Amino acid sequence: MNPRRLRAITRRIVDQFRRDPRTLGLIFVVPIAITALLGWVLRDQQVVPTRVAVVDLDRTAGGRLAAAIGSAATAGGLELVEGLAGEPAARDALANDRADVVVILPSGFGATLVSGGTATLTILTQGADPIGDGAKLGQLQRAVSTALLRLAPGSPSERVTFARQTVFLTPEADVLDALAPVFVGYFGYFFVFILTGISFLRERIGGTLERLLATPITKPEIVLGYSLGFGIFATLQVIILLTFVLMRLDVPALGPLPALSIGLHVPIAGSPLLAFVLALLLALGAVNLGIFLSTFARTELQVLQFIPIVIVPQGLLSGIFWPVDSLPVVLQPVARILPLTYAVEALRDVMIRGHDLTAAGVQLAIVILAAIAGLFVVLAAATIRREVA
Amino acid sequence: MGTDGTVMGRGEPAIETRALRKTFGPIHAVDGVDLSLTAGRIYGLIGPNGSGKTTLIRLLVGLARATSGEARVLGTVMPSRPLLERIGYMPQADGIYPELSVWENIRFFAGLYGGTDGARAREVLRLVELDDRRSTPALELSGGMRRHLSLACSLVHDPAVLFLDEPTVGIDPALRVQFWAHFRRLAALGRTLLVASHVMDEADRCDELLFIRDGTIFARGTADELRARTGTDRLETAFLQFAGLDDNGAPLAGSGPAGPAAGAS
Repeated sequence: MNPRRLRAITRRIVDQFRRDPRTLGLIFVVPIAITALLGWVLRDQQVVPTRVAVVDLDRTAGGRLAAAIGSAATAGGLELVEGLAGEPAARDALANDRADVVVILPSGFGATLVSGGTATLTILTQGADPIGDGAKLGQLQRAVSTALLRLAPGSPSERVTFARQTVFLTPEADVLDALAPVFVGYFGYFFVFILTGISFLRERIGGTLERLLATPITKPEIVLGYSLGFGIFATLQVIILLTFVLMRLDVPALGPLPALSIGLHVPIAGSPLLAFVLALLLALGAVNLGIFLSTFARTELQVLQFIPIVIVPQGLLSGIFWPVDSLPVVLQPVARILPLTYAVEALRDVMIRGHDLTAAGVQLAIVILAAIAGLFVVLAAATIRREVA
Repeated sequence: MGTDGTVMGRGEPAIETRALRKTFGPIHAVDGVDLSLTAGRIYGLIGPNGSGKTTLIRLLVGLARATSGEARVLGTVMPSRPLLERIGYMPQADGIYPELSVWENIRFFAGLYGGTDGARAREVLRLVELDDRRSTPALELSGGMRRHLSLACSLVHDPAVLFLDEPTVGIDPALRVQFWAHFRRLAALGRTLLVASHVMDEADRCDELLFIRDGTIFARGTADELRARTGTDRLETAFLQFAGLDDNGAPLAGSGPAGPAAGAS
């Protein structure tokens, strides 16, 4: 151990950091920026009032219980949706995002209570957001208890049970069932972006781009060639990831190895092919985003630095972990310009809600993802400097 | 007449520039170059680092646009994408894909010129004596062999005009001799070569020399002519004298090209 040599190495590393302001910024500024963004998103969550509807199939107490639940809900900060006549209408309202929770008073509900039995209320939610549903159920149960107490003080609230139903997935669905469909898109986007960014950076610094541009190739040929080449691997990646998410392969115990199952076996309501198309469109955008951003990097390390700057904020804002509607008001327009936001919503539409190509949301997402991919193609081509197209 | 079936007009220069100028902010990288180079010859573009060699070549290949003036290659004003079919360019950096094999590199560049049959690619590999290394990743080649591969990639479409930016930099004398033998064969086939170099002992192998400094061609002629005109037996001394510098490279009072000694290569 020679302290001088030790010092030489330490000092050289300090010098290198001083010469690389961007990396300095990365280790000091970016963590603060991301933590601040996360804090902002979590603390300034928009409180979106839960929309409740009461479907009274029983006319319990001449409809007074339904009215009492409604007024208790309103008093508790919930928003009342009126005019849903039966269960089909209620399911339709939930599926089309016109209500968040529906309470159904089944016929015979009042009679059972009066005769001293245990009566069951049905509570319907959309089911695509298991975490959000939990909070809404709590609010609703409080409203129902309040209403029962007001109508018949001192008696029956413990004799009322709640039966949960969902329009999509099942009441038992977990967070993974809601997140896995979206991760198929997110990871594709992420890895394809990093790979193309590094690959194209190497073209720029290795002199091969210079040589490429001295051949009769056109800029669109370069950009589309990249899209096709990386598209092949993005396709394979999305297929493998999608298969892993949807399938379950049970491997029996073999010798000392215990039995295990491979795959997440997440249920899918819609077409896997459509989910694949959405994830692929997103990945093609990422190819060209990678080419575009490689202009702003001089080393592979600097490409990796785009992860916390480009990829992480998109993960926070695009509706993967919490709905875009609950983001701080200022951040919502930002979320609306991110391609990932549209892909996330459309992937949930297809895989959880079972929407197909006829759904307006899916059509919109395809158009927007294609348009954004197209925009990135143009941006990417613009960063390839050449005097002749 | 080139083997690609094109006929050069009698006396029409292969490379021609008129008052060619390229500035980067205050820096005059190429500062009014007038050239007329005949087909079938090897021209040496000789000058120190930063004298404007690379910028001049990039203007001629069409990778950069002139600030003013005009560059023509084979009669066509550059930049011109179609003409790139007939231009070969060997950049200073190797410009090959290190993870790809020798053959995959060649096949890629052949493909960019629309080559499909691979016959020409095999021929070029033989020419640079890499045909027994076809499946070696470029990463594992020696520095000299990488330069060979780089040369092969710029020859794969049998260009009529070839621009070589410091082609022999960093390679050993034996390989350098081989390189010049290739160049000589190409010239004998009617190809025009412009070779940028800062090495004077290579200059003697060219048919004609262009001395460049501060973006200006300040002397032109065969090596013998240039030596005779300055009354010296060393090209280096001739260069310094034409440039208006003394033997130590310091400016002589009242002579030499004006302007600051700045340039970009």
